[in-house]
Amino acid sequence: MSNAIGIIANPVSARDIRRVIANATALQITDRANIVLRVLSCVKACGVDHVYMMPENGGIRQHVRRGIDRAENQGLKHFPQLEYLDYKISGTVEDTFKGARKMLELGVAAIVVLGGDGTHRAVVTSCGDVPIAGISTGTNNAFPEHREPTITGLAVGLAVTGKVPADVAFLPNKKIVVRVNDQEEIALVDVAVVTERYIGARALWRTETFRELFVTFADPEVIGMSAIAGLLEPVTRLDGHGLHVRLAPEDEAAIMLDTPIAPGYMRGIGIRDFQPMQPGARYRPEISDGSIALDGERELSFSAKDDVTIELVPDAFRTVNVSACMQYAARHGLMRMTKT
Amino acid sequence: MNAAKKSTPGGGIFPLDKPDLLVAYRTMRRIREFEERLHGEFAKGDIPGFVHLYAGEEAAGTGIMMHLKDNDRIASTHRGHGHCIAKGVDTKGMMAEIYGKATGLCKGKGGSMHIADLSKGMMGANGILGAGAPLACGAALAAKFRGDGGVAISFVGDGASNQGTFLESLNLAAIWNLPAIFVVENNGYAESTSRDYAVAVDSYVDRAAGFGLPGVTVDGLDFFAVYEAAGEIIKRAREGGGPALLECKMVRMYGHFEGDQQTYRAPGELDDIRDNKDCIKMFSERVIEAGVVSRAELEAIDREMTAEIDAALAFAKSSPSPTLADLSTDVYVAY
Repeated sequence: MSNAIGIIANPVSARDIRRVIANATALQITDRANIVLRVLSCVKACGVDHVYMMPENGGIRQHVRRGIDRAENQGLKHFPQLEYLDYKISGTVEDTFKGARKMLELGVAAIVVLGGDGTHRAVVTSCGDVPIAGISTGTNNAFPEHREPTITGLAVGLAVTGKVPADVAFLPNKKIVVRVNDQEEIALVDVAVVTERYIGARALWRTETFRELFVTFADPEVIGMSAIAGLLEPVTRLDGHGLHVRLAPEDEAAIMLDTPIAPGYMRGIGIRDFQPMQPGARYRPEISDGSIALDGERELSFSAKDDVTIELVPDAFRTVNVSACMQYAARHGLMRMTKT
Repeated sequence: MNAAKKSTPGGGIFPLDKPDLLVAYRTMRRIREFEERLHGEFAKGDIPGFVHLYAGEEAAGTGIMMHLKDNDRIASTHRGHGHCIAKGVDTKGMMAEIYGKATGLCKGKGGSMHIADLSKGMMGANGILGAGAPLACGAALAAKFRGDGGVAISFVGDGASNQGTFLESLNLAAIWNLPAIFVVENNGYAESTSRDYAVAVDSYVDRAAGFGLPGVTVDGLDFFAVYEAAGEIIKRAREGGGPALLECKMVRMYGHFEGDQQTYRAPGELDDIRDNKDCIKMFSERVIEAGVVSRAELEAIDREMTAEIDAALAFAKSSPSPTLADLSTDVYVAY
């Protein structure tokens, strides 16, 4: 099997209204390109010689090209061969779907994803059984773990070259499947049911519209909708269940929870109750009209005439276990060099 | 329009109630009807000067202006008809101005690129690219001194966003914490030059961050996306939160100017815009599908707008031209 990997870097993550309402990060395009270069040099150091990359017109490509050209001018050989997938760029999430699908067809051993939760969700929608490794360049970033991309690149390189065995290198993950009639979408972290019927600016920040929340895992160290669940009842990524939280106006709430629903954006959330979300069970929203937000962004609207179900699916896709890879590398001396 | 429209977030299906949804539709239709009629009339050769049409971009101007009052100021661009209409400027006076008639808003001396109506807070379309941004800073400074919660909005295209005036204005607004909002209407082309070629910075959010102010990118074809984002940005500016940049990604349905052969477009691009990227069609489908507004109600507005623009055209064509004596009036030097 080829140890080629794919990289999908979203140039338009971290661009929404939360820059204004919550002082959220606005990671610059040049920073994203530098992350790609760091990942490239690390996977090359582990023995990966070929990398496929999603084409985009947001500027990352030009800066990456410049970085590689400069290294070549200096006679440095620390980047693998980089090949851009060839298809028409739409500037929308379709590019990500298409990129992940083509990387699956090309048989890549892993896909490194630069983006927020939405970008990771789009990749998982199309990448089949190819493991992904997430790097946070979005706003809330509940799904990708926060760490220096150098380490993510090293772990991916060690995993796909077989230096770290697969049973150590990769982890199974849960997802939530949302069905609206015949349409099916997924979420990696959270599904929120809100009363607004329009998609609009996509982000969620008006807490009074929140009604229900379903999460695959609940981590008190993340922000966004999943923070609500995390601060109520932590559930790990490896637990067999998720969490279902019913929200309520303050006068009807059993608990008021101070929650960072966006970066630095603390809001009181009324909680009616919460219980484990069982895999395989099909939940239906309690309101008849509204929108479904997937991983923090409104994506689907529904009305009383629609049949909407929400289901937790275990063992749905794989991620590179960066922490385990690096621990294994240290304990087995994988990074030790021969003296020259 | 141009009255402060109170949004009703929380529990509502849309951020606006039905009367305001109809206001939004009426405004967008008024702009489209106005521009499409000009497209036809310009070809007859009766209109002096150039016209640059806003058709296809209605959701952005309307979604922003729904949040403004008459005392809020806007500085527009060469493509200013849509901004004027969304800000509440009278279409008869506009049409007469474009025809260069004495009954025009500027007595026929400005034409398409210099329509202004200070009573509506419309400081003027502007034939000089990037020249609106410093005007908006001035208006924002005045609003700040008055302390009346007013804001000023500068519209700029992706091409003019490279002008020094625009960049200096971002800096000035940031250091003085002005209630100024910079809207980049990114339709992908500076006249005929692709934005991808001509704008060195890869993201307008990056550009804003370089001047120390927040930037936001929205789908400018989605009225609700623009309305929501603009609402938060304008509210923040009114409350003293300072300037911000809003990039609206959009398309224009016609050429840079009337007569532009648009040879720079890809094959099929205009058909795709008409078929799949019509912001008014997108708005209509959504509100009808939600069951909030009926198709018949929207069609009634269509007929109303056709009649209004008919009347505006008739008024413009039948109005007198300025006289020679008018040449020496409304100028700074006495003759």
